[in-house]
Amino acid sequence: MRSDKFLQWLMIAFLLAFFAYLFGPLLIMSVTAFNSSQFPRVAPFDCFSVEWFNVLIQDTDLMEGLRNSLIVGFGVVVLAVPIGLAGALMLSQVAPRLRAWYYTVVISPILIPGVVLGISTLVFWRMLSRSLGADFLYDGIFLTIVGQATFIAAYSMLVFLSRLQRFDAVQEEAALDLGATHVQTFRKVLLPFLKPAIGSAAVLAFLASFENYNTTVFTILSDKTLTTVLASKVRYGINPSISALAVIIVFLTLLGAVVFEIMQRREGARQKESARIARGEIKTRSKQRNIMTEPAMITLAVITALGLGSVYFAGTLGVEDCKQVAKAEKRALSQKRVKERQTLQMFRRAAPSKETGAGTATAPKVKAKGTEGYQSIFAPSTLEGMAGQENKQEEEKVEAKGTEGYGNIFAPQNLEDQVDSDKKTE
Amino acid sequence: MNPRAYFENFFQRNGRALGTFLLAVVSVWILILILAPQLFMVDFSFRHNLPPAEIGGAKDTYTLEHYKFMVYGSAQSQGSYNTVDLGVFLRTLLAALFVTMFDLAICYPVAYYLAQSASGGWGRLMVLSLIVPFWVNEILRAFAFRILFGTTGVMNNMLMAVGILDQPYDFIREDVALYAGLGYAFILLMIFPLYNAIESLDKNQIEAARDLGASWLRIHFRIVVPYAKPGISSGCTMVFMLTAGALAAPQILGGPSSLWFTQLVFQWFNQGQNWNRGSAYALVLLISTIVLVTIAMKIFKVRLGDIGK
Amino acid sequence: MSANVELQDVWIRFGDFVAAREVNINIQEGEFFSFLGPSGCGKTTLLRAVSGFLEPSQGNVLIGGKNMAGIGPNKRPTALIFQNLALFPLMAVWENIAFSLEVRGVGKVQRRKKAEELLELIALPDQGDKMCHELSGGQRQRVAIARALAAEPDVLLLDEPLSALDLKLRQHMRTELRAIQQRVGITFIYITHDQGEALTMSDHVAVMSEGIIEQVADGNTIYDRPETPFVASFVGENNLFRGRVTDVDGDYALVDTNVGSIRGRREATAGEHALKKNDMAFVFVRPESLKFANGEKFDNTIGANIHTEEFEGNFWQVYMDVAGGDKRIKMSMVNDGGSPGHEPGADVNLGFSADLAVALPEGSLAAE
Repeated sequence: MRSDKFLQWLMIAFLLAFFAYLFGPLLIMSVTAFNSSQFPRVAPFDCFSVEWFNVLIQDTDLMEGLRNSLIVGFGVVVLAVPIGLAGALMLSQVAPRLRAWYYTVVISPILIPGVVLGISTLVFWRMLSRSLGADFLYDGIFLTIVGQATFIAAYSMLVFLSRLQRFDAVQEEAALDLGATHVQTFRKVLLPFLKPAIGSAAVLAFLASFENYNTTVFTILSDKTLTTVLASKVRYGINPSISALAVIIVFLTLLGAVVFEIMQRREGARQKESARIARGEIKTRSKQRNIMTEPAMITLAVITALGLGSVYFAGTLGVEDCKQVAKAEKRALSQKRVKERQTLQMFRRAAPSKETGAGTATAPKVKAKGTEGYQSIFAPSTLEGMAGQENKQEEEKVEAKGTEGYGNIFAPQNLEDQVDSDKKTE
Repeated sequence: MNPRAYFENFFQRNGRALGTFLLAVVSVWILILILAPQLFMVDFSFRHNLPPAEIGGAKDTYTLEHYKFMVYGSAQSQGSYNTVDLGVFLRTLLAALFVTMFDLAICYPVAYYLAQSASGGWGRLMVLSLIVPFWVNEILRAFAFRILFGTTGVMNNMLMAVGILDQPYDFIREDVALYAGLGYAFILLMIFPLYNAIESLDKNQIEAARDLGASWLRIHFRIVVPYAKPGISSGCTMVFMLTAGALAAPQILGGPSSLWFTQLVFQWFNQGQNWNRGSAYALVLLISTIVLVTIAMKIFKVRLGDIGK
Repeated sequence: MSANVELQDVWIRFGDFVAAREVNINIQEGEFFSFLGPSGCGKTTLLRAVSGFLEPSQGNVLIGGKNMAGIGPNKRPTALIFQNLALFPLMAVWENIAFSLEVRGVGKVQRRKKAEELLELIALPDQGDKMCHELSGGQRQRVAIARALAAEPDVLLLDEPLSALDLKLRQHMRTELRAIQQRVGITFIYITHDQGEALTMSDHVAVMSEGIIEQVADGNTIYDRPETPFVASFVGENNLFRGRVTDVDGDYALVDTNVGSIRGRREATAGEHALKKNDMAFVFVRPESLKFANGEKFDNTIGANIHTEEFEGNFWQVYMDVAGGDKRIKMSMVNDGGSPGHEPGADVNLGFSADLAVALPEGSLAAE
């Protein structure tokens, strides 16, 4: 069906656009990290350099924020994972009528806006610390851990709930029947089953805490975490070291994703093997090699090392020379522009009645001759002495292009000049 | 149910040690971490902004002044309204709604494609590639948009090169950057509920409808959308609440004219040094988002229990 | 060590629903005892009451003469084999088996030794280090049994353990289970809806329907001398004739049915189950008890018309219509190499002795 084909192409186009929207900004940001220009930009791309990574590492604020983020993250994991586990276990034991209410209350921190959580934590614990006289309660790190843990525990609870759903509760009965106490049943039957969930809940908790901003910005008081430092830098002093940080994070994320995928593949292979053993096709399972020796991992490690190495070298080799050249070019360019502007102005004042159009038409020739004349006059203030032979030719070419371009822009100014000069003559 | 019997049963099921652990932890979580701060904040928003010495003293009475301020402004004379704050409030909600709709519109096709068509390894790759951008910090993501939409950014360069623009367009001032950034921020939270909901739909239903000659539009509106309603409402709820409550993106991408309500709250805490007023504003934000979401859920007939990841 | 199990006047209620009603049973120590009945009849509930997962609403459960009221499942001398086995997926086979020793604090070496012994018993030597999902269904079944035996219970409870296995395996496991029980010598309480299992394996069978124990007896008695219409219709196949008792003499009763007068054996001569004159009665005749009346003399003869004949390998099944009857009756003939001797559509005479016809008071029947 033709409409089917059309729909298919439409879908593919849409998907491409969607993923461009998704990855585009990140890609661009990554590119800016390697551009030696002061402000993060892609074009013009001055020089390939890794200097911003150095700036990043030397930034004490950022490093302090990083350290605090790690501390907070660790604290949140320690707090949120057990709470989430308890919350999940309680759900199945709460009276059925109360269950919906219980679930709503416990899930609510996820729905409450992060700023509200931060504010409520802040004002509540400030009051507590004052009335109990316990100053240690009113501490940025502590408050942030508490505030974040409130909702991150709910996330971890969801992780446990989904794992519990696949638990055959009859196993607990079997354990009891065989003589185990309740604690033993919990320790030997339920907990081992939940182990993978504990792992994922911990990772999730740490990541959620690390990247949190809305709540943290209120509870952190006079301390800082990585996100709050980043936010203030982004608002008040942008330079590509932030892009550098982004590149590192993106890179680590990709690495994490690839490693995760490799682990999934291995798990799948193991399960296939188990099924084959159960069917009696093979007798014993093969020993699974250490993940570090997996061909995929080795390839990944090699590629990473080579990639990082080459980027580093490319970024440090010849950067200084490149920057000199770039600087020189920029200076030359700005010189030209200034010269043009001033000659154009002088020209305008000399012949105020001339229309812009006519002016620009005859200007190139005049300019080409004129600049040599004016060179001496303007040399001290604006020109920084780049009067080589090749530059003259460049100047002519640049000029010719430049004036046409500036024709539009200077039009209103010309009028203004005319008005001024008219006023003066009055 | 008889409370005593319930507790006996509870400790029998779990044993003494485990039972106490469960009860203690969950109580602390619910009472001290979740409920108490919220209740205190509510109370706090009705009190005057007093220096620490005067708290609990004679001046510490209940007041509506902060809420009044939000509606009437400092003039306090009836008849003039605090158009700035109220305007920001309404704009924030409307903009959040707009962003939610936008996200729904662009995520639905992707989620549908993922759930129904993408097979095995390819599908997993797509899912992974959806998740990866969101492991990057939201601040950095907003920053990326800032670079993208800046006067020397790629957007402007591209548009000028193609000839659509003659001079750099101030995307930031015109809020385009903000909306693009906000739309971007929560895509993941829209896609996954949609994906989960649509994935469980039996493909045969769609095949059957096509067999019977239904057009694509009809198939989606009559079969897929009603089935995916829990997913749609879950995704929309999360995106709406997170967008209305967003702070980083407006701070980084917002132009001078697009103040976000959360920024107002932030101002009261930092520049304004009036935490009580900030709490009142925060409460207004919380309640209005809850009310709106509840109304929407009633209209579309969805229950809270459907919202889970 | 083995123990007897007594259920005294046990009632189990869930709200308004009665799962078990006035159950009185005495299970002797060392015997293989089965509860037989359709799904939902209450047999699993009784099992859980014996194992300690629920307390009866009324009545007593005694094991080895001791009242088990208030004693939890981990303290009773019972071990339960669950319907879905409930093996611990994260533990190896030997760890599963040795679990009951582990919780008692027995050392690893000893546990391993005991596990190996049991693995020998269930004919799975050297499989100890495998994981449970690497075993086949039948092997997992045996591991569950070994795990329960390792706890050295006085009573072993089995909840429909063979229902998930295929036919051949089920038949094989029947003999195995019986053999294990005799070797180990402890009391087995077995729950099933499959009469073949109950009859072949058990010393005694309790037939249950809707919470009520219909009859408790050994297999032969249950089959040949059912005491209620439910038992007669649930266990094996039975042809049913309805009618009114016209005469009673000693152990026999004469019942006037739609196919004529039938003389059958009364199960009880006194008491509430005894048939009296003018009572409404059911007469049950097994398919294998019917014969073609080719001139021989029988206590009872009825006329019938052959509808179909099916060859089942070891049996010929002949389905016939009877005059005045609503249901088809079935006759089973052993396959001796030839055909039944009559063609479909033929009118025949069937005969059977009075001893093989069971006359019972009207009552509820097993569902079709």
